[in-house]
Amino acid sequence: MNSIQKKIWALAAVVLFIMVAIWITLTYYNQKTQDQYNDILQRYLRMNEVTTASQMTVTALNNYLQTPNKLNLAQLDWSKEQIRKARLEVIDLRNADNDFALTNYMNLIDSLVETTDRSLMFRSEKETEDSEKAFSEATRISKYISDMTLTLLDTELKTYDRFYRGIIEQSTEMKKMGIWLLLLITFLLMLFTYWFSLSITNPVQKLTQAAKELSRGRFDLQIEVQSNDEISFLAKMFDRMRININNLISEIQQKAQLENELQQSKLLLQESQLRSLQSQINPHFLFNTLDTLSKKAYLEGSEETSDLLASVAGLLRYNLKRLDRSVTLYDETKVLKMYMEIQKTRYTDRLRFLVSIDESCLYVQIPGLTLQPIIENAVIHAIEPSEDGGTIWFRVTDGGDRVTIEIEDDGPGMPELKIMQILKEYPVETEGHSTGIGFSNVVKRLRLFYAEEQIIDIESFPGGGTKVILNIPKTRAVEKVDKASDRG
Amino acid sequence: MRKTVIFLIGFACVVLFYFTFSSAAKVFRSDWQLPRTSAKDQAQYRLVLITQELGTPFWDKVGAGAIEEARKTGASIEVWGSYGKNQEDFLKKIEIAIDSRVDGIIVQGLDTDEFKSLTKIKAAFYGIPIITVANDVPMADSLRRTYVGSNQFLAGQMIARQLIADMGKSGTVILLGDSRSEYYQTQRLSGIDDVLKDYPNVHKQYAVTPDSREEVISATQDLMNRTPDVNAFVAVNANFADAMIQEIGRRSRVEPYHIYSFDDSKDTLKLLKKGKIDGMIEQSPETMGKVSVSLMIKWLSGKMVPLDTDGYLTDIRMLKGSDVR
Repeated sequence: MNSIQKKIWALAAVVLFIMVAIWITLTYYNQKTQDQYNDILQRYLRMNEVTTASQMTVTALNNYLQTPNKLNLAQLDWSKEQIRKARLEVIDLRNADNDFALTNYMNLIDSLVETTDRSLMFRSEKETEDSEKAFSEATRISKYISDMTLTLLDTELKTYDRFYRGIIEQSTEMKKMGIWLLLLITFLLMLFTYWFSLSITNPVQKLTQAAKELSRGRFDLQIEVQSNDEISFLAKMFDRMRININNLISEIQQKAQLENELQQSKLLLQESQLRSLQSQINPHFLFNTLDTLSKKAYLEGSEETSDLLASVAGLLRYNLKRLDRSVTLYDETKVLKMYMEIQKTRYTDRLRFLVSIDESCLYVQIPGLTLQPIIENAVIHAIEPSEDGGTIWFRVTDGGDRVTIEIEDDGPGMPELKIMQILKEYPVETEGHSTGIGFSNVVKRLRLFYAEEQIIDIESFPGGGTKVILNIPKTRAVEKVDKASDRG
Repeated sequence: MRKTVIFLIGFACVVLFYFTFSSAAKVFRSDWQLPRTSAKDQAQYRLVLITQELGTPFWDKVGAGAIEEARKTGASIEVWGSYGKNQEDFLKKIEIAIDSRVDGIIVQGLDTDEFKSLTKIKAAFYGIPIITVANDVPMADSLRRTYVGSNQFLAGQMIARQLIADMGKSGTVILLGDSRSEYYQTQRLSGIDDVLKDYPNVHKQYAVTPDSREEVISATQDLMNRTPDVNAFVAVNANFADAMIQEIGRRSRVEPYHIYSFDDSKDTLKLLKKGKIDGMIEQSPETMGKVSVSLMIKWLSGKMVPLDTDGYLTDIRMLKGSDVR
């Protein structure tokens, strides 16, 4: 990650690098110039040295000729040594222009030394006149050396004229370059700093803009920051926060909607409860009346009527139980039998009801009022329209882990379409139901109760009767549903 | 707005880059180096040409010829000397040359004792060969190896013959010479004499004068006063011609006089072109330079030992006024 700190470091490094580069270049340049100046000065100094040394030699020779003692001789030797050294140094000054003059110059120095020696020799041989002559020659040569030095210096100046002018030009150019460089660096830094500050402030600005949008409540705008520093990290986090908020809000909205629906259904429930309470008054009065009638009929010796009335009362009582409460198959068959007794009374010989029950299966849990509507359906469609009546079979058989309940009639059968409608749980308009509960309702409740689709099956042929098969598991797959419905 | 600012700054940067780098290129240019010691080998022979009359066309040509020849043969040569016949300076230059142990000295002869002592004693002491050029000094006096230049005697004869041809066989002629009576002048005079002695009707008036302009003028004045019937002038020392003619011109017209001189002065050719001089002896200065250098090198390399002590003569010819106009 390219952090802001890194950027600052980079800027500082660039500035530092530029400064160091300039410093090194200038130091190098300075050193070079200095060396060159030294070279030039050295040349002049060396030539001047020759002049000085030659003059010293002549003076020493003169001193020695005047007063020939050891000290003066030593002085003379020393100065001769000096001039030899100077001669050696002068060799280095040779170049194309002063080649000739320099050779002459060096030969002049040799001549001087030679003449000096000659003068000394004559002196030692007591030939004073020759010695004097040689001395005067040495003096002249020394003068020539001085002259030659000047000539050489002059040549030097001519030779290096362009060079010296070049140096001057360069130093003025150097000043100019300094100004240009200063301006260049200023502008470069301006550009750099601008770019650098932009790279920091731009994302911040974007972030600010995004924050503003968020504060206005617009959560759908994506926050995009095209940098790769802390700001972009911040922006990413911000974006994630925005998405989370967005999700939370939609969740809350969903919940609110749900709650709203719940509220409505609660209201409906309350209303329906009120209705059922209202409607319960009559049934209780009806039970009591029916009970009284049953007792009365019994007392009057009409036992059959009494039983019938008791059946009707029992059926009513059962019906008034809550629908969503589970009951055992035993209860359900009992009620079924009661219902069939009533129906038998009605249809007498026309209704044949055949029951075969495996008693061991009666403990299974089954939602209340499921079998009765099916039987009722069979009665309505198979018995009622037929003059001869019909037969209804009710079988409970043990099928391993399941209990199979079959309700079969020999009526005209059910059209395919209707079966489909029932199985698909479409509300089917049926009339004349005592419980007011339709077939599809039963299907629905069964499926909900066992949380299975394949709980019910209908087999029917036109004219061949109808067979409703319930495959009820002995243990319920979803215990929870039962508990939930128990609580309800 | 922002983009414009960036663009401007960027543009400024580019411009400044250009200026900075062009400036830097100038500053750090590499022709900074001092001209180092020349790699070429030192010339085999170091020669010096010394003259008293630097800056005259005649000696410039001698110098040019010598330098050209030296370049061809790979010797190095320098032309030294004095201006305007400054003898002291001239002699000093010779002494410096000797003390500098040059390999050879080519010198304009000067017929003085100092010159002779330098060449005869000092140069001989160091074993430096000397060749005289243009103006000779006899070998016996100077111990020169040889002479390269015009035959001055012949030059004198040519002048005299031209004079006779122009003037006729009778008349008066003034010869103006140098009071130092240098060898080449005496040679010229004897050449003139050699011709004129056959013409008894030609009177010659020989005068000598120191070489300052005023003295030349006064000498001319004096001569013309003494010999008013003069017909011709010969400036034996070419340097006198200008002053002489100036004086003549002050008195009368110059044209009727027959005036002759030599070319070893910077004025004579100009005067000839102007028609003030009727004729002059033209020598071959460039050949002198070349021949002297080549002879010196031959001698030094031992290819030609000894040199002809009588000298190597270069061409001379009579240049008349009609030739240059």
